[in-house]
Amino acid sequence: MEDYKYLFKVVLIGNAGVGKTCLVRRFTQGLFPPGQGATIGVDFMIKTVEIDGEKVKLQIWDTAGQERFRSITQGYYRSANALIVVYDISCQPTFDCLPQWLKEIEHYASTKVFSYLVGNKSDRASQREIPAYVGEDFARLHDMEFIETSAKEADNVDSLFYDIAKELTRLARQNSLRSHVSETDLSGGSTSISSISSCCRFS
Amino acid sequence: MAASTESATSARFSVDNVDKLTNIDDIRRAFELLNKDESSVTEELEDLLHQQHELEIKMQSLHATLPSLQLVQNDSKQLSGMISFTSTLAENVSSKVRQLDVAKSRVTACMTRVEDILDLKFCTDGVQAALQDEDYEKAAGHIHRFLGLDENVLRMSADADEGSTLDTSFKLLKEAQNKVKHFVHRKFDEAVHQGDVASVERFFKIFPLIGEHDEGLKKFSKYLCAQLADTADKNLKQCLATGPEDKRTNVMYADTMTLLFEAIARVVEIHQPLVETYYGPGRMFVMMQLLQKECDRQSRKVLIQFRNNREFDEKLQKVQQANMQSKTSLAENRINASDLDRMLSECTLLNTRSELYLRFVKRRILNDLEIASHLDAEEVHKEVNQFIVSCELSRQMQELICSYIMMEEYFMREMFLKAVIMDYLDEGSLTSSMVDDAFFIVKKCIRRALSSSSVDGICAMLNHGCSILEQDYREHLYSKLKTGFPSGFDFTQAYNLVQLSISQGRLQSADVETEKTKSTFLTALNNTEVSCEYIQTLKSDLEGEVNKLYGQTTDQGKAKLQSCLSDLGIVSNHFKDVLEFGFSQLNSTAVKPRVKPLVDTFLNINHNISEDDFAQYEANDPWVQNFILNLDGLLVTFKSTLTSTNYDSLVSQLSTEITTQLEKTVMKTTFNRLGGLHFDKELRYLVGFLTSVTTWTIRDKFARLTQMATILNLEKVSEILDYWGQNSGPLTWRLTPAEVRQVLALRVDFRSDDIKRIKL
Repeated sequence: MEDYKYLFKVVLIGNAGVGKTCLVRRFTQGLFPPGQGATIGVDFMIKTVEIDGEKVKLQIWDTAGQERFRSITQGYYRSANALIVVYDISCQPTFDCLPQWLKEIEHYASTKVFSYLVGNKSDRASQREIPAYVGEDFARLHDMEFIETSAKEADNVDSLFYDIAKELTRLARQNSLRSHVSETDLSGGSTSISSISSCCRFS
Repeated sequence: MAASTESATSARFSVDNVDKLTNIDDIRRAFELLNKDESSVTEELEDLLHQQHELEIKMQSLHATLPSLQLVQNDSKQLSGMISFTSTLAENVSSKVRQLDVAKSRVTACMTRVEDILDLKFCTDGVQAALQDEDYEKAAGHIHRFLGLDENVLRMSADADEGSTLDTSFKLLKEAQNKVKHFVHRKFDEAVHQGDVASVERFFKIFPLIGEHDEGLKKFSKYLCAQLADTADKNLKQCLATGPEDKRTNVMYADTMTLLFEAIARVVEIHQPLVETYYGPGRMFVMMQLLQKECDRQSRKVLIQFRNNREFDEKLQKVQQANMQSKTSLAENRINASDLDRMLSECTLLNTRSELYLRFVKRRILNDLEIASHLDAEEVHKEVNQFIVSCELSRQMQELICSYIMMEEYFMREMFLKAVIMDYLDEGSLTSSMVDDAFFIVKKCIRRALSSSSVDGICAMLNHGCSILEQDYREHLYSKLKTGFPSGFDFTQAYNLVQLSISQGRLQSADVETEKTKSTFLTALNNTEVSCEYIQTLKSDLEGEVNKLYGQTTDQGKAKLQSCLSDLGIVSNHFKDVLEFGFSQLNSTAVKPRVKPLVDTFLNINHNISEDDFAQYEANDPWVQNFILNLDGLLVTFKSTLTSTNYDSLVSQLSTEITTQLEKTVMKTTFNRLGGLHFDKELRYLVGFLTSVTTWTIRDKFARLTQMATILNLEKVSEILDYWGQNSGPLTWRLTPAEVRQVLALRVDFRSDDIKRIKL
C-alpha cells in the first residue's frame, strides 16, 4: 500500500469547455494539451502532495460538463471532500450558470462541503467578460473560496490545489482532535468531516 | 693456456737470464723451454694460416655474389616502375568502368523509359481494344499501368517529333481513363441498382486500378449501407410486429439493435479482405467511418421506436419531476415499477451491445492501420478514439445511459422506500423484512448497471447505492435507535405482565406500547448489525463481478471502479458507528441501571469474616448465586431477540459494566484473608458464568478484578513481591503500583506501614 496520511476526493464541476480537464492536467502532469476533446463521463487522476511534511493524496474527479453526463457526475458530489466550481472569465454564460451548479451541489453534496469558485482562462485578459471582483463577490455571497487561474500559463493552478489540500488537512486534523474529545457525531446527514475521518487510513 | 703462459713466463725468465746461466743443466732446461715455446708458437701460426684459407674462400664467394646484387637492384627498380605504371593504368581503366556504369544505368533508365513509352503505346492500343471488347478489368489494368508512369519524366525525355505521338497517347489514355471511370461508375451504379452482387464486386475491384480509391470505397460503402438499411428496416418492422406474448418482447429493441450490429459486423467480416487485397491496408478506417454513418442512422431509428413505444421520455420526465419535488413526497401519477424495471434492463442491454460493437469497430480499424504502419501510431490511436467516442451512436448511448442512471436511481429509491414502508417483522425472526428487501434492491440495481458495460454508469450507480445506504437507510436505522430502549420497567417483569395480560384477555395499552418500542429497538439493532455484514458481502460480491467482467478495461476504468467500490466499505464503517450508538443506547437504559443495584448488593456482604462465616458462605452463598441468577434473567430475554453477534456484544458490554461497577464496589469494601479468599471464589463463579453465555472471551475484561482478587488473597504484604516486577512471569499487571497499594490497604489485617514500605 502506498504511504499517505490522508486521502481527499476533489470534484471539479462547471459548464462544458471552461477548462476543467486542462486544470487537472496542468496540476497532475504539468501539461496543457490544446485541442482537448470533451470529457466523456468522468475522468480520474491522482496526485500526492506534501502538506507540513505529511503526504496527502488528492483523488481528483474531473467531470464532463455536458448536460448529457449530468446524472453520472452527480453521484460524485456526495463523497467529495472538496468541490471546485469552474467558470470561464471570458464567457458570461458559464458564469450565469453558477447558481444552477450551486443548486446541484445543494441537492446532491453533503452539507457544508468545502468549495472553491475558480475563474479560469485568466490569460485571456482582452476577452474578459467577468471582472475579478464580480467572481469574488459571488464566492463570498455563497461562502466559497475564490481564485482566478490560467491552466494555459500555469497561473495559480498549483496554489489552488495546494490550498485545497492544506484546508482539507486542517479540517481532518481538527476533526480527529474533536472525535477524541466527544462521541462520534452521528446526527443528521454525514458531514464531509465524518467522511474525511473514514478516509484517513494507512498512516 | 695457463700452462703455456706459465711456460712462457718461465721461458722469458730463463731467456732473460740466459747470459747468467752457468749451469749446464739450467741451460738445457732453458733450451728445452725455448724449444717448447717455439713449437707452440709454430702451432699457433699454423692454425692462423689454416684460417686464412677459409677466410679467403669466404671472401671469394662474397666477391662472386657482388655482381648479382647489382642485378637485384636493377630488377627491383624495374619492378617498382612497372607497378606504378600498372596502377595508373588500372585507375584509368576503372574510371572508364565507372563511366560505363553510369552510362549503363542511364541506358537502363533509358530502356525503361523506352519500355514505358512502349507500354504507353501498348496501353493506348490495349485500352482501346479492351474498351471495344468491354474488358474493363484489362482496360483498368492498362490505365493502372499508365498511372504508374511518371508523366513529366516521360515528356521530358521525349524527342521533339516523338512528343506529338506521346501527347496523343497521353490524351488517349486520359480519355480512356475518364471513359473507364465513367463507365465503371455507371456500371457500378447499374449493378447496385440491379442488385447484381457479382458485378458490384467486379467493378469495386476496378476502382483502385484507375486511381479512384476513395471514390470506390465511398460508392461501395454506400452500396453496403443501402443493403444494411434494407435489412435494418426489415428487422425493425419485424420487431414492431412482435406481439406482447413473445418471450423476447421485453428486449426486442435491444435485439433489433443487436441484429443491426451483427449485420454490420458480417459486412465487415466479408468485405475487409476484399478491401485489403484491392485497396491496400489502412483503408478500413475510411470505410468504417462511412458504414458508421449508416449505423448511426439505423440505430437512431431503433432508439426512436424504443423511446416512443416504451414511453421512455414520459417516464424520464416523471422521474425528473419526482426528483424536483421532495425526495420523499410521492409523485401523483406514479410510474409502474415493473414496467420501469423491464425498460431499465433493456437500456443496459442496449448499451452493452453498443459497447461490444464499438469495441469491434475500433479493433478492426486499429488492426488494419497497424499493417499500414507508416503512420504515427499515437496520432492514429487518438484519431480513432476520437471517432469512436464522438460518433452519434456513442452520443446516443451516453444520453441513454445518463437517463438510465437517473431512472435507475429513482427506481432504487422508490423500491427502497417501499421496502421501508412495507417493513414487517416476522414472528420469530430477528431482523425485519426491510433489510433483505433493501439489499436485494440495491444489489439488483447495481448489478443491472454492471451489465451495461459502462464504467461510468456503474460508478454512478455505486455512488447512488452508497448514497441511499449511507443517507436514507442509515438514517432510518439511526432514527429507530434514537428513540432508545425503554427503561423503567423490569424486562422480565414486563414480559410476565404481558403474558399475564394476554392470558387474562385484556391488554394494558401502555405495556403493549413499551413492548412494541422494545421490539422495534432490538429489531433495529439487529437490522443494523446484519446490514453491516450485508454491505461487506455486497462489496465483495460486486468486486468479484467487476473483476470478472471488467478485467479488460483500461487502468483508469479499473481505478475508478475500485475507488467507488471502496466507498462502499466506508459506508459499512458508518453502519458500525450506528451499531455502536445503538449499543450505547441499550447500555444506558437496559444494562447500566440494572447492573448498578445488583452490584451494590455486594456491599451488604461482609468480607471481613471468621472461619465459621466462611464455611457458612461456602454452604449458602450470600451474593454471587443470586447475582448470577439476576444476570441470567436479564440476558435470557435478549438471547432470543438479538442476533448472536449482537448478543455477544451485549454480553461484552454487560461484562464491561460489571467490571467497572464491581471494581468501584470492591474498593469500598474491606477484606480479611478469608474474605479475600471468598471474593476470589465469587469472581471465579462470575467469570465462569459469563464465559458460558458467550462465544467471545471475556476473561480479559476481568483481568483487573482477578488481579485485585489475587492481591486480596495474599498471606502477607511482602508476598506481593512474588508476583510483581521480575517475578510477574506471564502475568501482565493491569493495576498501577498506586492501585496495588490501594487494594492492599483494603485488607484490614495488613499494616499500612508495611504497605508503604513495599517497593513496587
